[in-house]
Amino acid sequence: MSEVKGAYNVCIIGGGITGTALAYSLCNLGETSVAVFEKSYLSSGSTGRCGGGIRQQWSTKNNVRLAMRSVELFEHFKEDVGTDIEYYQGGYLMLSYDEEEAKQFEKNVEIQREEGLDVEILTPKQVSERYPYINTKDLVLATFCQKDGHANPHKAVIGYAQAARRMGAKIYTHTEVLGIDVQNGKVVGVDTNQGYFKCDAVVNASGPWSKQVSQLVGVDLPTESYRHQIFVTEPLENFFPMMAISFAGNFYMRQAQHGQFIMGQGDKDEKPGINYNVTFKFEKELTVKMVELFPFLRNLRIMRHWSGMYNMSPDAQPIIGQSNIVNNYFYAVGYSGHGFMVAPAVTEALAELIVLGKTTHTDISYLNVDRFANAEVEKEKNVV
Amino acid sequence: MVDNEAGGRKHVDAIVIGAGPAGLCGAIAIAESIGDGTKVLVVDEGIEPGGQLPKQTHKFFGHEGFYASVRGFEIGKRLVDKAKELGIDFLMQTTLAGIYEDSIVAYDRNSNSVSEYTADYILIATGASERFLLFKNNTLPGVYGAGAVQTLMNQYKVMPGKSFLIIGAGNIGLIVAYQLLQAGAKVKAIVEATSKIGGYMVHANKIMRLGVPILLNHTIISALGEDRVEGAIIAQVDGKFKPIPGTEKEITVDTICLAVGLQPSVELVAQTGGEIRYISELGGYVPVRDENMKTTVDNVYVAGDLSGIEEASTAMIEGYIAGYNIAQKITGKDLSEKITDMKNELVEFRKGPFAAKVREGLKKMGISFPSGGYREEIQQIPSSPSKLKAVIECPQAIPCNPCETSCPTGAINTGGNINGVPQVDYEKCTGCGICVTKCPGLAIFLMQQREEHSIVGIPYEFLPIPEKGSSVKLLDKNGKYVADGQIDRVMINRKEKTHIVFLKVPKGMEGVVRHFEMSTASEESQAYICRCEEVSRNDVEKLIDAGITDYEEIRRVLRIGMGPCGGKTCRSVVLQIISEKTGVPISESRLGAFRPPVIPLPIDAIVRYAKGVDTDE
Repeated sequence: MSEVKGAYNVCIIGGGITGTALAYSLCNLGETSVAVFEKSYLSSGSTGRCGGGIRQQWSTKNNVRLAMRSVELFEHFKEDVGTDIEYYQGGYLMLSYDEEEAKQFEKNVEIQREEGLDVEILTPKQVSERYPYINTKDLVLATFCQKDGHANPHKAVIGYAQAARRMGAKIYTHTEVLGIDVQNGKVVGVDTNQGYFKCDAVVNASGPWSKQVSQLVGVDLPTESYRHQIFVTEPLENFFPMMAISFAGNFYMRQAQHGQFIMGQGDKDEKPGINYNVTFKFEKELTVKMVELFPFLRNLRIMRHWSGMYNMSPDAQPIIGQSNIVNNYFYAVGYSGHGFMVAPAVTEALAELIVLGKTTHTDISYLNVDRFANAEVEKEKNVV
Repeated sequence: MVDNEAGGRKHVDAIVIGAGPAGLCGAIAIAESIGDGTKVLVVDEGIEPGGQLPKQTHKFFGHEGFYASVRGFEIGKRLVDKAKELGIDFLMQTTLAGIYEDSIVAYDRNSNSVSEYTADYILIATGASERFLLFKNNTLPGVYGAGAVQTLMNQYKVMPGKSFLIIGAGNIGLIVAYQLLQAGAKVKAIVEATSKIGGYMVHANKIMRLGVPILLNHTIISALGEDRVEGAIIAQVDGKFKPIPGTEKEITVDTICLAVGLQPSVELVAQTGGEIRYISELGGYVPVRDENMKTTVDNVYVAGDLSGIEEASTAMIEGYIAGYNIAQKITGKDLSEKITDMKNELVEFRKGPFAAKVREGLKKMGISFPSGGYREEIQQIPSSPSKLKAVIECPQAIPCNPCETSCPTGAINTGGNINGVPQVDYEKCTGCGICVTKCPGLAIFLMQQREEHSIVGIPYEFLPIPEKGSSVKLLDKNGKYVADGQIDRVMINRKEKTHIVFLKVPKGMEGVVRHFEMSTASEESQAYICRCEEVSRNDVEKLIDAGITDYEEIRRVLRIGMGPCGGKTCRSVVLQIISEKTGVPISESRLGAFRPPVIPLPIDAIVRYAKGVDTDE
């Protein structure tokens, strides 16, 4: 064991959106003895690489509720957290190119409307009237929720981190957790490349590395990381307010505040494992597809291309809760590509669970890892 | 919109040429009176209607009936909105190519197409063009007219240069200088060939207290530079405007801005057969017209600068006069009351000393305007009030009275005539500061003597807005440093954007201090590290001070290196700054990611390539 460098009530592993938002949420509840350990720089993992979409159009009741609470918190981010994160409710336009999927969309909208979400169903004609710059060939239908939107994920992390620091939390960057000290079935400290820190609770918010970090306490988490690529174009004057997304079409795209278009797609052939390289195949596939659907893109240039990890769970929904094997070991992992958008609500609930022993705003019990012990798992269908 | 005639020619009741203040008001008057805007067509060359108004960021003089204290671009918007509400048609980016015997021909630059019109009445409000000046190398890139500088800077948001020499101290030269300073440029000097400042003294004071010298009896001899302006030679002139040998001086600037007067654009009036006469007081060749703005051709009217170089308020009034006269003929209704009201407005506006030339010029056309009848006496500034009081430094009789009409306690009056020099009743003045934010000349200050120090409140239209408590250098009315002071507080005026900065100044200096300079960081700290995204050293240092010390973190917050160059120039500089500030040697610093593509890659090229590859397979 290395030299004892400090002691905190809560140690969080991971300086992405979950880690920093959780530090902020804990401080908000009065728990300011908090440390965040990030092995690289803030938002260096999945958050800083993601598309930045924030949506509420999900296929299950619980996910809709969680997302709606998140949006409520995003709407007040500037006042509450004190940073402008380029949050913009330009809507999410979900495009379906598949008859069966379109039927599913209609069912989803029923669930969403029951939860009080204002969602429109649009015909291809309505889509092309509203967005004349979209080619609606082969489109079956679309759904649109104005209250969905997007933000700058990196600024959100920095905003949460700075707010948490102001309230007393400590954030250690370039500090890698090498071991978690468990004694008598209870977490008592973490060992890092910068020394040993005593603690009463540990939270695994390590995104792509969730499985490996969990193995440090001997708890198995059913997560796997898959590479997803993304690129950004040069900027255009802002005219494209919404996130356009399609599951059957396999793409998402938005225009950021600065004017650049950010877009990506999934790749079914991707093997599990951490890989931050990028492929030209991706650029070719995505550009050919996208200029067909969004012809104006043809005149733009690609500025940067990178990749990030989806930390996938078996049902494509996050795994959040408290371990019943090791005391005071918490986890918020397996977001399956949509951690950024639900982080405010998830971390609010998780902070409540840690400090108060129960959640008061949003029920997250359905996301506990125990659900995989059951035979039937309701898979989230709305994932790229 | 318009009735179609045979051969594709369209007919309207009235065609208005020029969508500046005169043309817009004329069109509004016609449309309002005939109750149908679709019978009126406005044609203009500009991208947006408003003429020069969209380029004007300063508050206009005059009275509230003609938008005094409202910024020019805002006046333009209001007039255009009104015209559009009335259903008036606009043909923008369209040049009225000619008024032919058989037809009025318009050329649409955008669609590269021509269209033909006929009209019962024509109101020509084509304004004026800028005069040019002869000097050596005046074709070097970097020599601009003031109108072009305003268009680039205020309409297209492009700065034509960084440091300016302005030729001409009329209102346009003074206003452009102020706008350039607001936009962050340097104005090295204004040179003026005559022996006095031609524009309003309040406009001159605004820039003098910012330290810009106005060199009277001076002119430009030559622009300097190989491929573009790198400087200028100026010299003193004698009584006949001839340069005096041996007085030449070199000034380093990258832009020369000419503001040496305007000349009416009479071409179209001439094409209608209207008589043109040379009257120097009105700006040179002008159309001959009567007091109803009718030219010597029965159905052709003029208004605004075309009928004599003046300013926006009188242009609007002339537009109304012309418009109501046209409408009277179209409808047969008696509009004489409205016409008389507008003529009375003109009489009021033209009583002062600045309208002397216009009065003389119009007399030559047989139209006379009275002068005088306003107060010229300047009020003595009270010494050291113990409560906050307004002090007005508006020494000339100019047609302007928002101070009077905005004062909630009735403490300010211009003596019963809009041209009168304003005075303050100190029994009634509560020091509320409303007049300070309203005054278009930024000529009203607040002052108060306290026990330890005095307070001076100054109107402020710059960014950034200084923070309470920060230390400043206090400047006098010529922009000279006189003492150190502090920002006491700032009264933010979000709507109109003339804020009041209250300065703590040494006792007894309340009559001296008229501006301030931030005791800011060095110029180097404001220089751009990342030129693509315009990020300064200061921006980077602030972030490092806040604990954001990773290149990647800084990059993503500030967008440094995210421009077309991809960080080729800025990365090493940022790493150097991080190293300096954190003490971590640069050799140990984390370089950050190098993401492809190395240069921006056209999507089109990838798509064409990808499709080619596909067909090969």
